[in-house]
Amino acid sequence: MYYAAKLTEEKCTGCKICIMSCPDPNVIAFVCASKKVKIDEGRCKGCGLCVSVCPKDALNVSQL
Amino acid sequence: MNKPIFQISPGFEEIMPPEYRDLVANGPYGKGFGVGDLGAYKELVEEHPLCAGCGLALSIRLALASLPNPEDTVVVGSTGCSSLVFPQVALHNIHSLFGNQNAVASGLKRALKLRFPDKEKDVVVIAGDGATADIGLDMVMQSWFRRERITTIMLDNEAYANTGGQESGMSRQGTVLNMAPTGKKFPKASIPEVAQAAGCAYVAATSPAHPKKLEKAVRRAVLIAREVGPTYIQLLSPCPTNYKFKPHETIPLIKQREKEGTFQNQEYISEEAQRFLDSLEEARKK
Repeated sequence: MYYAAKLTEEKCTGCKICIMSCPDPNVIAFVCASKKVKIDEGRCKGCGLCVSVCPKDALNVSQL
Repeated sequence: MNKPIFQISPGFEEIMPPEYRDLVANGPYGKGFGVGDLGAYKELVEEHPLCAGCGLALSIRLALASLPNPEDTVVVGSTGCSSLVFPQVALHNIHSLFGNQNAVASGLKRALKLRFPDKEKDVVVIAGDGATADIGLDMVMQSWFRRERITTIMLDNEAYANTGGQESGMSRQGTVLNMAPTGKKFPKASIPEVAQAAGCAYVAATSPAHPKKLEKAVRRAVLIAREVGPTYIQLLSPCPTNYKFKPHETIPLIKQREKEGTFQNQEYISEEAQRFLDSLEEARKK
C-alpha cells in the first residue's frame, strides 16, 4: 500500500507553502507557466505535512 | 570545491545518472537561490531514507537551501539520523566520529584558510542534539571558546531517534520514550544561552515551521562566521517515529508548542556582528 499527496488544481493558488514544508526533496515542483504546483507521486512518502499547511485545502493524501 | 568540479567531463554525459545531469543543468550553484525558490530548481539533497514527516529532514532541506554560497561550503556531520541524509547531499561533506564534529570543523576551517587565503570557504556543522549537546558538548564548547569561525547547526529532535529512542540532554522533563520508560528526570538544558555565554557572535533558535526565519538565521550565521566569530543555530525538529504522533502533525506540533510557551524563537546578535550586518546592508543598498 502506497500513499501519496494529490492536488486539486482548481484550488491551488501557487503560494508555495507546501513546497517549503515537504521533508523530501524534489517532490513538489512549481510550474511557472500555470503558477501552480505539481506533485511527483513516485517520490512522495505520503506524510501529509503539505496537507496540514495548505491554506486552500487543495491537497489530500490518498492511496495510489 | 568550486563550480567546475560539478561539471561532467565531455563524453561522459550519457553514462551519468539522470539526477546528476539534472543537478548540473538546473542546480543551485552560483545562482544565489533561497528557500523561496525551492521547487524551481534541482535541490542539493536527493531522495533520502528518513521517515515520512521527519522534522529533521525538513530542517536539513531548508538549511541547505539557505546556504549563501553552496559550492564553497563544506558540511561536517556526525552520527545520528542526519548522517543518513549526507550520502545523498551534493555538497562536500565529512562524517566525523560521534561528537567530534566541531573539532574536525575547526581544523578544516584553518586548513582551508591556509590553502585558499583569498577565497571565502564556509564550514558548517550540521549535527543532531546527541552529538552537539551530549556527546560532543566538550568539542562544541571548546570551538566556541577558541572563537573558531564556523557555524554550528543543531537539529534538535529531543531524543536519540536513530537508536530506538533514548532520552537525550535535549529531551524535556517527563518525556517517556521507548528506551526511557520511567520518563526523563531533569529538565531540558538551554544551549542557546550556553552559546551566548561561551562567546558566539550570533545565536538563533528557530524551527522549520517558519522557513523564511530559518533562511534568515542560516544566512546571517554563515556570513557572520566568515568575519566575526562562531555562530550557533538550534532548529526544533520533532520526531514522529519516537514521539508517536502522526507524520502530518510535525509542523502543527511546533506551532502548538510555541503557543504553550515550551518553545520560543530566539535571536541574539552581538554588537560586533550587528555592526557587520549593518555594513553588509549598506553595501547592498549602494
